[in-house]
Amino acid sequence: MSATGSSNPEYVNARVRSRRAALFAEEDYRKLVRMGTGEIARYMEETEYETEMNELGARHSGVDLIEYALNRNLAKNFEDLLDWADGELHNLIANYLRKFDAWNAKTAIRGAYSGASPDEIQTDFIRAGEFDDELLDSLANAGSIEEIVELLDGTIFEEGLEAAFEDFEDQDVLVPLENAIDKTFYEHLLDDVNTITLNPNSPKGLYVEVLQAEIDFRNVRNALRLSRTGTDLDPEEYYIEGGKLFKEGELRQLVGSFDDLVEYIRDSPYGEDLSNALADLSEAESLSAFEQALDAALLEYSDTLSHSHPISICSALSYILAKEREIENVRAIARGREVGLSVDEIETELVVI
Amino acid sequence: MIEALSVVLSQAQATGGAPALEPQAAAAIAVGLAAIATGYAQRGIGSAAVGAVAEDSDNLISGLIFTAIPETLIIIAFVTIFIVG
Repeated sequence: MSATGSSNPEYVNARVRSRRAALFAEEDYRKLVRMGTGEIARYMEETEYETEMNELGARHSGVDLIEYALNRNLAKNFEDLLDWADGELHNLIANYLRKFDAWNAKTAIRGAYSGASPDEIQTDFIRAGEFDDELLDSLANAGSIEEIVELLDGTIFEEGLEAAFEDFEDQDVLVPLENAIDKTFYEHLLDDVNTITLNPNSPKGLYVEVLQAEIDFRNVRNALRLSRTGTDLDPEEYYIEGGKLFKEGELRQLVGSFDDLVEYIRDSPYGEDLSNALADLSEAESLSAFEQALDAALLEYSDTLSHSHPISICSALSYILAKEREIENVRAIARGREVGLSVDEIETELVVI
Repeated sequence: MIEALSVVLSQAQATGGAPALEPQAAAAIAVGLAAIATGYAQRGIGSAAVGAVAEDSDNLISGLIFTAIPETLIIIAFVTIFIVG
């Protein structure tokens, strides 16, 4: 409702938990991976996604329909979350949902770079963040990346983007811009929270812990990718502050040797949760299985917290993560079926807990 | 609440011999406190119940039951009236 007044975690918790229970479970996914795209669309019409499917059904079809319905449903659910929450709870959730501002900004930049039409860009927006419709419309209509960067003046992304834009002009690749956006988002996550004086056992302390875990996992993922591909990109540029696992400066050394990096993660506090995944990683060729394991670990962790601290933001946070995961899973299934991947191949892409 | 009590106490002492607090007055305070406690407990449960019912109206019955549970506090406190009365 608003940022004023006191928090109402009981109300939000009850609603969120009910929606969390209505998300697709393992058996739904088992059915979905065996369906064609048309069947998936029909299946979704009988669930949560009914309204969106009906609204978009006339204009789109096939995988696009599924994808747009997913995005729209996600935005609706998260808008609801902000409607329900009051006070401090509202602020914390809003901070987290800036994730979609980052997504939208990146979508606009990519669209402008690839020369997509404003309509195409509009449909890819997820309207769940802080950006209002007006800003999003002008972002979609902006013809050039320079215009987009100017439009984002005055948002949290302003600072990092300006420096990144110079890099972009030199090299003509999008990586510095996208990276600047991600970095800004993660670094602002902990804005309203004083991490030093915080009691680590209070609900807010636990919230910070989930966020730190997310940042750490993001750093781990980037480090492993850089290390595995053996590029000479500077790891420090991809480092996100605010986590516990890596300190600035450590990363450069670790990325040099893949085995050292894996060993370092194994000795860290997350080592136990990730031990199986790490064992696989040393043998396996691809990183994707490990990245799924990271996602699953984060989901489980946030779930545990939401059970032990029902009267806090943790349940809302765990719902956001789970819902996002569902969207990604369904999208992976639909896209996978479209290009004709086998059931086994699609199943390895899913994160189900 | 506590200030009001001490005022009552000091007035009672000022009038001499009579007990600090009449039994009926003490019972009234007990019932009042229990009512406040019930309200406080129902605040959280009620808002959670409304949230659950809003998501799925099948939850109405259990929501009502859980909201009513703290009523036991005030009902038990009610007994004090009959004890002193």
